[in-house]
Amino acid sequence: MSSAPPAAPVPARHAPADDDPDELRGLTVVPARYYGRWLAGGVVLVLVAQFLHGLATNPGWDWPTFFDYLLAESVLKAVWLTLQLTFYGTALGFTLGVLLAMMRLSSSPVPRAVAWAYIWAFRSIPLIVQLLFWFNLAYLYQELGFGIPFGPVFWTFETMHLVGPITAAVIGLALHQAAYAAEIVRGGIISVDSGQREAAAALGLPKLRQLRRIVLPQAMRGILPNAANEIISLFKGTSIVSVMALGELFYQVQVIYGRNGRVVPLLMVATVWYIVLTTVLTVVQHSVERRFARGAERQPEPGPLDQLRTRLRGLAQSRSSARALHQSPVPPGLPPEPLTDTARTDATATHATATHATATDTTATDVRGPRKGEAR
Amino acid sequence: MSGGRRPMVEVRGVRKSFGDVEVLHGVDLDVHAGEVATILGPSGSGKSTLLRTINHLERPDAGIVRVDGELMGYRRVGDRLHELKERAVLRQRARIGFVFQNFHLFPHLTAVENVAEAPVGALRRPRAEARREAAALLARVGLGDRLDAYPRQLSGGQQQRVAIARALGLSPRVLLFDEPTSALDPELVGEVLTTIRDLALGGTTMIVVTHEVGFAREIADTVVFMDRGHVVEQGPPAEVLDRPDHPRTRAFLAQVR
Repeated sequence: MSSAPPAAPVPARHAPADDDPDELRGLTVVPARYYGRWLAGGVVLVLVAQFLHGLATNPGWDWPTFFDYLLAESVLKAVWLTLQLTFYGTALGFTLGVLLAMMRLSSSPVPRAVAWAYIWAFRSIPLIVQLLFWFNLAYLYQELGFGIPFGPVFWTFETMHLVGPITAAVIGLALHQAAYAAEIVRGGIISVDSGQREAAAALGLPKLRQLRRIVLPQAMRGILPNAANEIISLFKGTSIVSVMALGELFYQVQVIYGRNGRVVPLLMVATVWYIVLTTVLTVVQHSVERRFARGAERQPEPGPLDQLRTRLRGLAQSRSSARALHQSPVPPGLPPEPLTDTARTDATATHATATHATATDTTATDVRGPRKGEAR
Repeated sequence: MSGGRRPMVEVRGVRKSFGDVEVLHGVDLDVHAGEVATILGPSGSGKSTLLRTINHLERPDAGIVRVDGELMGYRRVGDRLHELKERAVLRQRARIGFVFQNFHLFPHLTAVENVAEAPVGALRRPRAEARREAAALLARVGLGDRLDAYPRQLSGGQQQRVAIARALGLSPRVLLFDEPTSALDPELVGEVLTTIRDLALGGTTMIVVTHEVGFAREIADTVVFMDRGHVVEQGPPAEVLDRPDHPRTRAFLAQVR
């Protein structure tokens, strides 16, 4: 059969003309079968299974050592420092970034040029080089003073005391981050429809309020996904700070495997922590994005928990449905995301007449049913 | 508000160019308090630009605009005009309502928040009071039951009525409408025109740029016909619309009818 037969009472194009349309309407629908797709799915599943099997059985992973160190005090301390570096780097970086973005959008040429030059410079210097500069600041300037430019100095500080390694790392990360944050914020602001600012101006709203109440909340929708990217990459980027012998996660793990030689399980300790914390950030990102989507959709998009609930309900329905076609229930271990677009379309098409469940309800089960059958 | 016979809006010799193209060639216009003026004319005739120079969204290259005796965008010192800073211009604008063709409602704020935004932000009114008044204004435009709807949950006609309520929130001396029904589906035009008609009957001073000739005839005290940056003709609707002097006016009216 070249295509799936239509579900509605419209007769199939290649059906003989003398078929009774009322009779056609009552016929059973046989869904199209995509053997190539099943085969590919099966191959992928075998490869994944092989990989998981290796993880579990290869003694090289040394899981006992991994579990010894995963929650060790030194590792937890290092995780905490990593989080602090990320937090201060993000907070300072984005504060400075917003300022730089405003300067770049200013109607006065001096701030515009200064912000442009800053972004140009800090995007050009590799983070690791910049960090080493900050680390060696005391070599360049032994003392830092506070006073009138080119005039008398009121207070002086020993640079070594003022800029310790942690401060140097935070400064380096924040200055680097600010250059990228500035461009992200600027991108968000210029993406807001110019009519919005015009309407705010026509209402006589003061400049700052136009920005705070009208432009920024709308710009946030564009800023957030990119900002989350930056925060996550900064979080993992803190591992670069290990060049400064700061006891963050990656450095700490290196110290431990330098002592006991168990390289792989300790790298896994770091990996698992990075994955877990990135996942937390991703969840936070999602809920913040939803907050700023106010008014953007006619119907607010369901959150991850709502989606899961909907899917589970769809699953329960298709299980109880006697007419469910060629599908076995989703194994509990599989992730709830739907697969590719083509798979989705196919699933809804074959399902059009089968149950009363909505397309989204049943997508996950339909797509996976045949794959699992093939893998058996 | 305005004393004696001085018009509410006075436009004198306003010129405006965009690049090499001059869109307004020295326009004069008077609108008295409580009067409704409609501006008609083919597209590209400078109607919208004229409207935007009145609240200084466009700065005229030459000429002046006065609203209720207040010179827009300038301060006279001796025989010189000093340009006002943006903050002062914004303060002047807060007394002029502007309704856009494409509504330009704030999509992240509900209807009542849209209306209350300027009274709170520009006129420094207490928030609770501004919200109460916003709700009353929305009821006045027939949307008392959609206070907490976001603009995207409203039809085009409802959005434009929220925009009108938003402009009214500033208790403006003048209301300016820039083709308020041009972006609407035909069946939604009526509800917006009804709202504007009610305001006209209530004695609000208004300048309406429109393509709706029938509507202009009904509500206008003065019809202004513009073509290629000039005011070609102005007067009561019975004169300009029924016995136009100028061939351009006649040609335009023949087309839109």
